Amino acid sequence: MELLKLLSTNEIIAQVLGFLILLTLLRVFAWKKILGLLDKRKEYVVSELKGIEDAKADIAKIKLEYAANMASIEETAKEKLHQAFNESKIILEDARKSAHLAAQEIIDNAKKSVQYELAKAKDELKNEIIDLTVKAAENIIQEKLTGAGDRKIVENFLGELDKLE
Amino acid sequence: MAEARQAQHELPNLVSLLADKIGRATHLGEQVYLWENVIFSLLIVFVISLIAYLASRKSKMIPDRLQNALEVVFGGLDDFICGILGEKGRRYTPFIGTLFIYILCMNLAGLIPLMKSPTSSWSTTLALATCVFVYVQYTGIRELGFLGYLDHMMGRPRGILAFSVFIPLMMLMLHIVSELVRPISLSLRLRSNIWGDDLLLSVLAGFGLVGVPLLVFSALLAILAAVVQAVVFSLLTTIYFALVLTHEEEPGG
Repeated sequence: MELLKLLSTNEIIAQVLGFLILLTLLRVFAWKKILGLLDKRKEYVVSELKGIEDAKADIAKIKLEYAANMASIEETAKEKLHQAFNESKIILEDARKSAHLAAQEIIDNAKKSVQYELAKAKDELKNEIIDLTVKAAENIIQEKLTGAGDRKIVENFLGELDKLE
Repeated sequence: MAEARQAQHELPNLVSLLADKIGRATHLGEQVYLWENVIFSLLIVFVISLIAYLASRKSKMIPDRLQNALEVVFGGLDDFICGILGEKGRRYTPFIGTLFIYILCMNLAGLIPLMKSPTSSWSTTLALATCVFVYVQYTGIRELGFLGYLDHMMGRPRGILAFSVFIPLMMLMLHIVSELVRPISLSLRLRSNIWGDDLLLSVLAGFGLVGVPLLVFSALLAILAAVVQAVVFSLLTTIYFALVLTHEEEPGG
């Protein structure tokens, strides 16, 4: 009962009211705002982290795609290079063959031309000799042939030959 | 009551000095002295409300120092309460959190020169414990319904035959007594601890310079006690809520 003397109904009521006032004020000014803000920030952080994770996953995916693309590009480049090399070999071989053929043809033509020229020269020489022989025979026939005369005819003939050369 | 209070050994504070100035023999002086705890409580209510208002009036995603401090306290209390009560705990965070902050500030007020801990008065702690009692009972009835709450109070298992009536009724009586005792135990524990700390400090202060080392040591202990008592009060309140919010199913129906 001694303890009960410490109690005051008015004080209890006043303290209850004081606490309820504080509770109301804090609920309005602080709890709602702060807890709402904390939740919002938590959501923001979670969403940002998720965004970062997604971005990381995208980057990893892009990296893989890039690596795969690079590998395929290298493969294609190698193939193209090889193909070009083979094509160049073929072209070179063809060119060599055609050049060889052309050269052979030129040589053949030249040979033919030489043979033709030679034959022509021979014919011309032959004709010249015949003409000269005929001329010499004409000279012999027109004059009476003597030792000195023959010599003279031969000398003339040789002179003619020299002129021809 | 005034006589009982006058028998206590207390350090002088602003209100008691004011009452002395007015004259305790006068009606006004006596009233001021009688409402001493309420005056300090309202002062603390004002200070807490002002800080909360200043910290949260321009709340931003990137907080300033005051808002940051408030967020740490409020966030910590929310985690603590939701850690015990689960997802439903958020509903009770403002009540229990406010209780913790209020009690802590009132406990620590006694360590400030010319102030007094309103929690060293049983009326103050009983008022808070009564608020807890009423809210817990209201929550229990709201969550379970009146009959459901009575059913919850009867406990389980029910047994068979005669025991199916007798034991639940006994349990009900026991629970009712237990519920009624809770605010008394809760309030007396807090009041007695804080009153004891204040009494010890006032006695040590009477030793003069010789008592200074002991006073410093006791002040540190009083800070610790103030925090611990606020935590104990809030923790017990949270547990009372947890007891009415969680009802396990009886095995086998």
